[in-house]
Amino acid sequence: MARVTSGPVVVVRAPGQGLPELPEGVLVADDPREGRGPLQGIAAGLAALSGRAEIAFVASTDMPFLHPAFIRRVLGVLAQSEGTDVALPVARGYKQPLAAGYRVWLAEAAERLVKEDRLRPAFLFEESRVRTLDDAALKQDPVLAALDPDLDSVLNVNTPGDYAAARARPAPEVTVQLFGTVAKGGASGGPHLVRAATVGAAADAVAVVFDRHVTAALNGDQITRDRMTPLAAGDTVFFLSADAGG
Amino acid sequence: MPAGGYFGRALVVDVTSGTSRSQPLPDGVLRGYIGGSGLGTWLLYQMGTPGADPLGPAAPLAFVFSPLVGTPLTTSAKFAVVAKSPLTGMLTDALASSQFAIAGKLTGHDAIVIDGRAPELSVLLVDGDGTRLITAAHLTGLTAADTDRRLRSELGRGWRVAAIGPAGERGVRYATISHDGRHAGRGGLGAVMGAKNLKAIAVRAAAKVATADPAAVLAAARDLRERSFGPATAKYRELGTLANLLAFNAISALPSRNFQSATFDGTAELAGGAAGNAGGAAEDIDGMRRVARSSCASCTIGCEHIYRVGKGRKVRAEYENVFALGPMCGVSEPGAVLAASARCDDLGIDTISAGGTIAWAMECAQRGLIDAPWLRFGDADALLRALDEIGARSTPLGSLLAEGSRRASATVGGGSGAFAPHVKGLEMPGYEPRTLHAMALGLAVNARGADHNRSGAYEADLSGDLVRLDGGEAHVTAAVETEDRAAVMDSLILCKFLRGVFTDPFTEWAALLSGVTGWDVTGRELRDTARRIVMAKRVYNIREGWQPADDWLPDRLLNEPLSLPSGRVAALTADRLRAMIGSYYAMRGLDPQGRPDRTAVDDLGLA
Repeated sequence: MARVTSGPVVVVRAPGQGLPELPEGVLVADDPREGRGPLQGIAAGLAALSGRAEIAFVASTDMPFLHPAFIRRVLGVLAQSEGTDVALPVARGYKQPLAAGYRVWLAEAAERLVKEDRLRPAFLFEESRVRTLDDAALKQDPVLAALDPDLDSVLNVNTPGDYAAARARPAPEVTVQLFGTVAKGGASGGPHLVRAATVGAAADAVAVVFDRHVTAALNGDQITRDRMTPLAAGDTVFFLSADAGG
Repeated sequence: MPAGGYFGRALVVDVTSGTSRSQPLPDGVLRGYIGGSGLGTWLLYQMGTPGADPLGPAAPLAFVFSPLVGTPLTTSAKFAVVAKSPLTGMLTDALASSQFAIAGKLTGHDAIVIDGRAPELSVLLVDGDGTRLITAAHLTGLTAADTDRRLRSELGRGWRVAAIGPAGERGVRYATISHDGRHAGRGGLGAVMGAKNLKAIAVRAAAKVATADPAAVLAAARDLRERSFGPATAKYRELGTLANLLAFNAISALPSRNFQSATFDGTAELAGGAAGNAGGAAEDIDGMRRVARSSCASCTIGCEHIYRVGKGRKVRAEYENVFALGPMCGVSEPGAVLAASARCDDLGIDTISAGGTIAWAMECAQRGLIDAPWLRFGDADALLRALDEIGARSTPLGSLLAEGSRRASATVGGGSGAFAPHVKGLEMPGYEPRTLHAMALGLAVNARGADHNRSGAYEADLSGDLVRLDGGEAHVTAAVETEDRAAVMDSLILCKFLRGVFTDPFTEWAALLSGVTGWDVTGRELRDTARRIVMAKRVYNIREGWQPADDWLPDRLLNEPLSLPSGRVAALTADRLRAMIGSYYAMRGLDPQGRPDRTAVDDLGLA
């Protein structure tokens, strides 16, 4: 998500819930009350962004194939639709309130609905100007259509079987390019088309020793030395000398 | 008895009268400021007349050596040239490497400081017989390289020469001082030298200097030499800094067309090598072969990559000169960029300031603010013509651009100051601040102006340890750290290209300095020294008129976000920059306006 947006990323957790190590800059917001469902999480997340952003993409944390192009498409529609409060995908036959774009100022309404025990996102949509995006509308974005043609972005993982099936899928196809001395060490500069789910796997695929002398730039944007940085289909990974500069 | 590696004195020459004197340099000053950039700052503060015109006789020009010069330590044959910059009106300290450093120091001085103005264009000679001025009438208008050759032929063996080209004689505010084909390039030191009516300074060794622990120094030199062959310097050795061109373009950090974009369509053509090879091995540039690789004196890295232009001319291609004369001006013809670089060498002007100023003028012409329809982005002939007019000051436009982009924009007006690519008057190097936020801060607060050598904060941006598009506290910490490291490396002096071989730099540098001098220096002491040097530069600038508004970036970089190929938007807003500067001031112990308190100033030992 951080790849697509310029603003902060917020993780909403239940009170006292343990979290894995999060990237630098990620904000953590606590649900004030536990067990109040997704609308409570939406309310807490949007409230945390108050004053920091005008729109936000809200996602659950069990969607392993959520593609940056999907987020970009949804947020793009919302940003360009002045009279719209929610950009709501209706993908693969279902409304996707936890893969949708919201105006941040909806936090107040969402919080009020929670207090009123009206806990389903549908209640929020009743009070909002919602623009739905079906499969065809989503895939009007050629990048999303090319990189996530089945809209696997909205697949979620609920059981050990789902998880195993997700792990069994082939890694996404990504492009790797090598620069400077990294290109001279082994493979040619490229571009190389490889399958890799992480930056480390991409390095391995082109025989780059991803040590302290090398950094990776994901889509020419995010610089990382973390082998576990996840990749999505269509990503480009540049491997550079760590001492880039004069 | 001075500490090892030092003579304990500076030579002060008044070229108005042709007289000279020796000024003792106390041990405490040498230990507190080391040499090079640090000692040069101290000397300039002591000897400069506050408020003096940088191009007037009262503004000193200091050639400052260091305790490591003359030792077998790799990359140590370096010196600093320090003066009040005619571009910025503040301190500038250009470093360079050559045999001039060794011969200059072995005249028996830790620094040679020049005051006054010679009655005619002259050459200053310094050797064991003292100092003397000889006429340079026959050298008038020559390039620095030709001046070097002529003088060494006339003077005989053992002499080393630092000279200015025609642009220095004509007061181009970004003229350079050259020696052995290297340049003290930034800030207009060649103009300062020209204003002293000095075409050249020639030095010849006449003394020896001992180190405190020769065995320790030799062992350290062997160790450092081995490490200098390792992966941390591979990029410089194998490819040179030109390898940055493709990499920076890929990550949207390559300023082009006067910072209107952070990528450049002609990059592959320029970086050459290798169509289809993203690595851009830079072995060829559009059919022109890399014909040689070379090193500075006493260097084992060998970062110089020499290309042949046309049938005979060889030119050194580095990232900064290719960036400034290529993408910055929209020029993608490799032969033209190298020819422009050679022209800068011949004229004796800084490629970065020349490229930046011309790029600004191209945008002015595009907007109708300057009546020069021929001066178009991407036009190689226009670039060469502009360089010639600047070097000769032969036209009103040439004279205007010879003043640098800040002064020129003040003259042209029409809002052109918003896109004049400078900080404090010094044109910006090839690092896009909107996509490198730590570097943005480093460029804004640096004493010398927009400079990538005194603030290497781009290292942090490109490390992956912080988010380069989201400047905050981590970026401030990184900017302070890299500035401190540069302050020590530039004072010892060691080449920055060696920085990656040190794993515990301050401690390792302290051991080197201890071996040479006999002092018991610690890493902690060197950290304090770094902060002292950074602070002293700020205090000098404040004395010369620095204002808080000088620690800032051009409006364009704050008001025009960049859309990145990834879909993200890179924005460096005034609020973000202001917040980072505020944190920087706090971390440096400055008040919110960037000024130190009285106690901090007193601790510098400048008075």
